Amino acid sequence: MRFRADIRNVHTFTKLTASLATLGHIAWVRLDNKDVRYTVIPDTGTQVWSVITIDTIFDNYTIQSAAPDNTINLEVPLAVLQRALKSAQNANAASIRLTKKDNIPLLSLTITTDTIRTSQPTATAPSQDQFAGNGTSSNTNHSHPDGPPNDFREESADFFGARQDHETVVTQDVPIRVLAAAAVEGLHEPRCREPDVHIVLPNLVQLKSISDRFTKLALATKSSGSGRSAGGFATQSAAAGPKLELSANMHGCLRLALHTDSMNISSLWTGLENPELDPEQVAEGEDGLANHPSTRMKALGDSTGQHGEEGWATVRVEGRDWGRVLSVGRLGGRVIACFCNQHALILYVFLPAGEEAVGGGESVLTYYISSFAA
Amino acid sequence: MASNVPMFSAVSSSARQLLLLLRCIGFTKKALVRISADGLRFSTEEGSTMESFVFLEKALFTSYNYNPPTPLSSQDDPLGPPTFEINLISLLETLNIFSLSDPNMAKRMIGGHDDFATHRLNRHAGTNAFSDRSMGLIGVCTFNYDGPGTPLSIHMSEAGVATTCDLTTYEADHAEEIPFGRNDLCLKTIMRASSLLDAITELSFMTPASVAIHASPTSSRVNPNLSFSATGALGSATVDFTTTTSSDMPILETFNCATRITANYRFSALKAAQRAMAAATKVSVRMDRQGVLSLQFLIEVDAAGSASGGGGGNGGQALLVAFVDFRYVPLVEGEGEGDMDREGGGTDMGFLSLFLIG
Repeated sequence: MRFRADIRNVHTFTKLTASLATLGHIAWVRLDNKDVRYTVIPDTGTQVWSVITIDTIFDNYTIQSAAPDNTINLEVPLAVLQRALKSAQNANAASIRLTKKDNIPLLSLTITTDTIRTSQPTATAPSQDQFAGNGTSSNTNHSHPDGPPNDFREESADFFGARQDHETVVTQDVPIRVLAAAAVEGLHEPRCREPDVHIVLPNLVQLKSISDRFTKLALATKSSGSGRSAGGFATQSAAAGPKLELSANMHGCLRLALHTDSMNISSLWTGLENPELDPEQVAEGEDGLANHPSTRMKALGDSTGQHGEEGWATVRVEGRDWGRVLSVGRLGGRVIACFCNQHALILYVFLPAGEEAVGGGESVLTYYISSFAA
Repeated sequence: MASNVPMFSAVSSSARQLLLLLRCIGFTKKALVRISADGLRFSTEEGSTMESFVFLEKALFTSYNYNPPTPLSSQDDPLGPPTFEINLISLLETLNIFSLSDPNMAKRMIGGHDDFATHRLNRHAGTNAFSDRSMGLIGVCTFNYDGPGTPLSIHMSEAGVATTCDLTTYEADHAEEIPFGRNDLCLKTIMRASSLLDAITELSFMTPASVAIHASPTSSRVNPNLSFSATGALGSATVDFTTTTSSDMPILETFNCATRITANYRFSALKAAQRAMAAATKVSVRMDRQGVLSLQFLIEVDAAGSASGGGGGNGGQALLVAFVDFRYVPLVEGEGEGDMDREGGGTDMGFLSLFLIG
């Protein structure tokens, strides 16, 4: 079983890992010939199933295993991976490979940083405290007696210090578990009925900032009612958190609302896009499209969103969980939300294609969010 | 009631300015709101020993429309100005939301961490709203109220989003105002608000339960004109002010004291006025013969929308002002702890005395 790749876009990889890490501690990572899949299934809260094209993150991707399509299934601790990637923030080059040390399987990141230094001794690499939990970190300082630096040097023995250009190589190890095919066989994407409304969400960063304000508002007014207890974040479970009401209609309107005893507040976006369904994707083709719930919803409601409750599909999401889901907005990309009234919300996040996207494949992250009862 | 015109509607060009003023009285959950033709009056009180109010006059708003409710028949007495109670925390949080600038957030795609958004929200929640000029855009928001039973509704549009907040209005239980004998004063002084803030801050280090305010017509080392003193678990402290100074800008700008008087107040109650002290330029400190203390803070409000506090505004633009009032009932003998006796010696817990000469 072998896997090795260069990380083409460290920032995208870091942001992706960070977004996933907010939702759960471990991810099921499935690598094969065609794509890379990250799946996070926490005990409570939103699930994410993502399919990332290889070119989005990796270059020079080689993989080999006994399974069909060279499939490898791994269990990866996300927080550890996130910390390991911090070393790569300003990297020249980074690569990742599957390896074993002392019989422990791990993903090993090799990060090369070209640092231009003044006469100060190199302080960054040795003092970097970004250690993976159980892993190791080794530093090798390269220096060049003559001439310009050469990017891909082998290990060198001497350290001269006080030179113009240094190249630093950092290795971060992330301990993982290899999953047998049988272990992942039972994992399936949640099934949901056909959604009532599908709509393109506005800028996620803006949506997140407003959602976070509402959540904060709910917490502030709630805690004041119980005598100003100082923030019970740690003690509140997901089920107890403040619920935001998210609704949309087939005429480009999205509404986020919060209802408490002392106030009702709602924000309304209009002029959003409702994507057309592709008849080929819908079961039963054209007929299916005619009977699709969203087609029926189109007949109701209007584009101002002001007149009555007709045509709106509503779900109730937990404020903080929703904020964590929205953190994926930092990756950019188009987000389509599919509402199953009172039941569930599915978000499809399409990542912008890489610089040299080959074959036109698009990376998709799919978030499955259950709705809370009123 | 088929009236197409709402009873009250007003537009404010700056939610931040309103937030700033209302925060000064925001030490409790509920506030009483009274709408009149001249402006909005918000008042809060605690335990009927302390009350505060802020009057937002109509000049602070870009537009202000009040249609008084007409009585049902001409024989009825004219109805009083609509008065109701709202949850002040909800109102403050809503104005907080409205005073954050969204378009800046939308541009912030890179590095848009959760931490940053939380940090910004937290930063606005603190008392230090003044240094936040960089946050730029101020929200235009519209207020509407349509009579008893309807909510107080605040609306704002920004960057493609329209947000509406309906605050539930509750019936007001009419508490009586603390009586203040404004024509029968023992002490009247106008001083810089920052000095008062400094004094209270100094005393708060002692974590006292009560604070004694002592005023004297003449100044001597033992009996300065105005003195704040407090005793707490960590020690005792006194902050003295005097009018005998050669400076052109004395801390006590005016000072009138008929007789010597000392009164004690709950320290936490005075501390609750700290936001007002920080926001204001000047404060008028008055005490009547019963010992009821009135602090009236003058807060300069820029016509363009942002409020400036601290040591006096520049000339130039016409500045609007708003007043925030606090009134305190003195502690009766035996109620408070650690009363400072000016005539006798200090306590045996150590003595820190600061003299401030203006």
